[in-house]
Amino acid sequence: MDYIIAGFWKAVELIFSGDGELWGIVGLSLRVSGSAIIIASLLIIPVFTFIGLHSFRGERVLSRVLNALMSMPSVVVGLLVSVCLSRRGPFAELQLLYTPTAMIIAQVVLVSPLIACLTYELVKHRGRDIQKLGQTLGASKLQSVWMVIGELKSELFIYTVNGFSRAISEVGAVMMVGGNIKGSTRVITTTISMLNSMGDYAMAFALGMILIVISLIINSVLYTYKEKRADV
Amino acid sequence: MEVQLKQIDKRYGQKVIFHNFSNTFASGHITGLVGDNGVGKSTLLRMIAGLDLAYDGHIYYDGQLLHKSLYQQMTMVFQTPYLLKRSVYDNIAYPLQLRHRPAAEIKIKTEQMLERLGITHLSRQYAHRLSGGESQKVALARALIFEPDLVLLDEPMSGIDAASVLFMEDMIRDYVRQHHKTVIMITHNARQVEELCDAVIHLHTAE
Repeated sequence: MDYIIAGFWKAVELIFSGDGELWGIVGLSLRVSGSAIIIASLLIIPVFTFIGLHSFRGERVLSRVLNALMSMPSVVVGLLVSVCLSRRGPFAELQLLYTPTAMIIAQVVLVSPLIACLTYELVKHRGRDIQKLGQTLGASKLQSVWMVIGELKSELFIYTVNGFSRAISEVGAVMMVGGNIKGSTRVITTTISMLNSMGDYAMAFALGMILIVISLIINSVLYTYKEKRADV
Repeated sequence: MEVQLKQIDKRYGQKVIFHNFSNTFASGHITGLVGDNGVGKSTLLRMIAGLDLAYDGHIYYDGQLLHKSLYQQMTMVFQTPYLLKRSVYDNIAYPLQLRHRPAAEIKIKTEQMLERLGITHLSRQYAHRLSGGESQKVALARALIFEPDLVLLDEPMSGIDAASVLFMEDMIRDYVRQHHKTVIMITHNARQVEELCDAVIHLHTAE
């Protein structure tokens, strides 16, 4: 039990001493997951808003596929991205494997189905009425898409934050495509996993605490945002 | 804008809503659409608005079939207004912004409209905080601000206070008289039919 308590106090010390390695890992985690969520949102939200505004054969199939992909294990994403970027893969020339870019790609692939599914279902149920209003006011198709995104921005923001939460807390995909290389691709979750197997609990506790704080901040932002929306 | 319906057939599953229905809505007139619930009044308005295209027959707008640019020249106000999650000012200005009108024109027209509605003091307030009557007035103002040739009103005055009803009737009357535009409105109000409408079409069940 003593080593746990000692580890805990050492972790507190590491956090407040401004340890370069620790904060470097935290910074990389935020950069990788932040970039992934921005890229995924910019790509996915407009596309799935457009798709959600149209009726077509196969709507149910699309919903089911997106739902299934939403719960895709991160190691499977890691495997797919890893195979694509490996020396024998189709994108080998880019030499991205074991780089932060590869980790961003993996997280984009991981969170895209989540954002796509939630956006698609939301637009399908609420966006079509907004689109009809746009049509009666003379909006073009593109203007209607932006109008729907604007009207549903609160919900879309919440989905995006949830996506970030999933991205920053996953370990499998970034471990496989990043390789957990010190000073290069080592992020919070991969470091915790590695330190746990090494029995080095101080740094692992410190990173765990920071991850929990990040999670608390995300939830606090969401909670405040939801409250604010209820007041408006 | 004159609207001509020729041999319209419309059904929902097995239920026939319109069979070989033809009629003309004269330009520069306010035409009331009356009839029992379920006879297809709202359906007809949605078809004319181009929101429901699943029918047989033809609808002509000043002699032309529906095409893309016609959507710019007509509008519809729904029974339950959907106001954007923006300020009252932004809601009213929105159709002008969609048409990329100059900022100065948008400002002048929107402020004039707010003054006309008597809600200048509410211009910065979120539109969805307005009362039912105020919401409908804003929805009507938003529909009229870009001066569409054809205005379709799906019972926009049901369930609101008498003063707001009279105000909206005045707005519609003035709009048609000043701009010589066409209004088609669904109503169950006999007084409104008598005092506001230039013509009335009674719809009956097709079966």
